[in-house]
Amino acid sequence: MRDIYKGELVRLSAMDAGEAGKAFARWGRDSEFRRLLGSDVAQLHSAKAAQTWLEKELEEASVNQHWFSIRKLDDDRLLGDIDLYVYNWSARDAFVGLGIGEREFWGKGYGTDVMRVILRYAFTEVNLHRVTLTVFEYNPRAIRSYEKAGFRHEGRMRGALNKEGRRWDILVMGILREEWMEQNDNKPAN
Amino acid sequence: MRDLFRGELVRLTAEDPETRAKIEVHWQRDSEYRRFLDTEPAMVVSEKWLKDWFEKRNEEGYGPNRYVFSIRTLAEERLIGFFSLWVDLVHSEAWVGIGIGERAFWGKGYGTDAMRLCLRYAFTELNVQRVSLGLMDYNPRALRSYEKAGFRLEGRTRGDVQRAGKRHDSLWMGILREEWLAMQNGEKV
Repeated sequence: MRDIYKGELVRLSAMDAGEAGKAFARWGRDSEFRRLLGSDVAQLHSAKAAQTWLEKELEEASVNQHWFSIRKLDDDRLLGDIDLYVYNWSARDAFVGLGIGEREFWGKGYGTDVMRVILRYAFTEVNLHRVTLTVFEYNPRAIRSYEKAGFRHEGRMRGALNKEGRRWDILVMGILREEWMEQNDNKPAN
Repeated sequence: MRDLFRGELVRLTAEDPETRAKIEVHWQRDSEYRRFLDTEPAMVVSEKWLKDWFEKRNEEGYGPNRYVFSIRTLAEERLIGFFSLWVDLVHSEAWVGIGIGERAFWGKGYGTDAMRLCLRYAFTELNVQRVSLGLMDYNPRALRSYEKAGFRLEGRTRGDVQRAGKRHDSLWMGILREEWLAMQNGEKV
């Protein structure tokens, strides 16, 4: 059977609160990254605060949450994190959130690769029916990447964000099990 | 839409730990009931112990992999039993355990009615693909009831239970979503 944690460029690895806490604190100083990642007000956190927060989150991790750090295959470097959160089991729908904190690896296929890995995980390991994500209008690089990974545009929350003194839309994207199966020639094990 | 919590004879309820503990004190004294329920040694515990236990379960809450209901009769609101569903979320399978503690209500269709509600809940609310259960071969009344509700006997672990000096088999039953849907006679679920 194939290694479900491994893509072409990256692999999923276990979250380590100490290591990830340091990385999150460093990545968080990049305000652009922060704004691409989430809609909350950008704030700075110490490595220690990030580690404490991570320890708590990881301790509470449940059957609903599949949270991984992302490592480069060639040199094992930590690039970011990806979180698949099953928010509705009776519908078998999960939200996915992805951040590549190391900006020198933006736009080079690393994010697309890890998204393909997490979709395979979602549909063949967790056996979900659909995966949902939201992305901000001012992040065309991510939108392109999600399209490449197989997501379709499903909706748009108009003016849901206020950044840089203007309103932006939040886009909703999704992929269904059948669509993913079709994209993979109905051979999920390959 | 249909009332998921109401059957022909019983309805499903949530009970306070106090109420649940008080009635469990009576049910547990019936050693035959205890032996039908599971394979643990029959045991009696204090009302305080039971209340703490139910309180702890309450704090843990319900879902997404655990659902517990009490069973009351429609006619007199009598609290007569309970069932629990444990869901294997990844494989979309639920295990059910059911107990009718009030023996005056044994063999009269109350358990079967509650199990039908349980299956409707599992297949149309939790959306699972199968429901499984286990019982002991010395409980033919339950076997018949589960068959009536739609379960099929799928397997038997020979001689894995010892009760009253004799070896007994565990029986394993299951019902698939397609089978349950076919039983609904085209009625809207």
